[in-house]
Amino acid sequence: MNILNTTLINIKSNKQLFFASVGTITTALSILGLFLLVYTNLNSVLLFWNDQVQLIAYLDDEISADEKKQIEKLFSSRSEIDSFDFISRDKAWENFQSMFSEKSSFLKGMGFNPLPASYKLKIKPSRERLKSIQSLAEKLSQQNGIESVEYGEEWISRFETFMILMRVFLLALGTLLCLGAVLIISNTVKLSVLSRKSEIELMLLTGATPGFIKIPFFLEGIFHGVLGSIISLSLMKAIHLYLVSRFQGSIETFGRGMDFQFISMPFVMVIMVTSILMGWLGSYLSIQQFLGAYKKL
Amino acid sequence: MIQLYNVYKSYNNTPALVDISFIIKKGAFVFVTGPSGAGKSTLLKLLYRWESYDKGQVLVNGINVGKLKFNKLWQLRRHIGVVFQDYKLLQGKTILENVAFALEIVGADKKTIRYKAWESLKNVGLSHRKDAYPVELSGGEQQRVAIARALVNNPKILLADEPTGNLDPEMASEILHLFEKANADGTTVVLATHSQNILREGDHAVITLKRGKIADTRIVA
Repeated sequence: MNILNTTLINIKSNKQLFFASVGTITTALSILGLFLLVYTNLNSVLLFWNDQVQLIAYLDDEISADEKKQIEKLFSSRSEIDSFDFISRDKAWENFQSMFSEKSSFLKGMGFNPLPASYKLKIKPSRERLKSIQSLAEKLSQQNGIESVEYGEEWISRFETFMILMRVFLLALGTLLCLGAVLIISNTVKLSVLSRKSEIELMLLTGATPGFIKIPFFLEGIFHGVLGSIISLSLMKAIHLYLVSRFQGSIETFGRGMDFQFISMPFVMVIMVTSILMGWLGSYLSIQQFLGAYKKL
Repeated sequence: MIQLYNVYKSYNNTPALVDISFIIKKGAFVFVTGPSGAGKSTLLKLLYRWESYDKGQVLVNGINVGKLKFNKLWQLRRHIGVVFQDYKLLQGKTILENVAFALEIVGADKKTIRYKAWESLKNVGLSHRKDAYPVELSGGEQQRVAIARALVNNPKILLADEPTGNLDPEMASEILHLFEKANADGTTVVLATHSQNILREGDHAVITLKRGKIADTRIVA
């Protein structure tokens, strides 16, 4: 109880510094949080698309029943194919019309169905998926009755590389911002320590244990960090809610079942734990440096 | 008991204490005197390990002071009360809170803190001013608060560094009586002073330092 009181007194006596420190930590963590928010959502887009990866084989309009059978036989023989669906020309046209219902008058006015029949192939997930899709696509494009083959895996592979770069960037940015925050906390706590120099000296003289002296300052640093992280996470949540209310409709037309994601719970925990560690480290550096001078006496 | 054996201390190669040896028995009252710069304050600082020494051995209550690690110094200092010329009172706290502060540090419970802090102030005749702030008190009164704070944890040893340096002779005499009262209750007192009046008034053993060396001792039977 006394320790908490001392911590609060420390904070009260350096109010301006306290707010400056918490404000800077909030800003640093918010920048990191915004990038995390972007990362989380890009990652969810990647997962969504990854799940949607399929190979589409468009068929010749004049395909014979025999050729169709041969193609289906080929699909069944390939172990990398998870499943396949036949989409007739009529079904494709129907799907197309329902996706662009607002342009229905124009579509009806066309008077003919320009779309080919196709097979949608789901590929089993594996490390070699890209290679197996490539070889399958090559094989299929030579098959009689297949007009063309389309797949988006290559694009997704590039996106995956981009996400790895994003992770590296986030880690570097996070480390730099955390270091900055540690220095800010350390300086704030140092001023707090210096403003109580005579009291600390008296504590040392009267037989206070090092823990008794240090703990209020540790708590002060941790309080800076935790408060900064709570404010920045609240800001993130507010931004997230705003994006959801404003753009959820648009994102659903982009991909059915997709939505704006908030920073995942493990990341929230990482931010909280990091802020506690930053607070502790910042105050540890200052108080150790201060007490170090008395050790040398 | 305080024992010093061939203790040397220097600051940047300038000797401050040279070959100091003496024994102060439990319950004794000893003055340490000498001109300014003779090493009185340094000697006291060695006893509560505010300063380290270069050579020799210092034992306080059986504790080898030189061997104590920084994070164990509290074990020594809890047995020692220290009083300074400039009182070292916390200006933002009332005098009762100032005395209570020493009890909080050793982890006393709230009830004990309230009772003992008040009792300690009563012993120095200031319980009626418990809610006053140091700035509202005279120098003599502030020193009495400092003594109350030094004694509140019932230390075995009371060290005082020029406690009457800022006080007029009448007030100095009052302060001396407080130290003598503590000594009568069993506390070993080591009082550093350059005041001849105080030395004459208190009929106690005297260690005289000159340029860091013991120049003379007066033993009282």
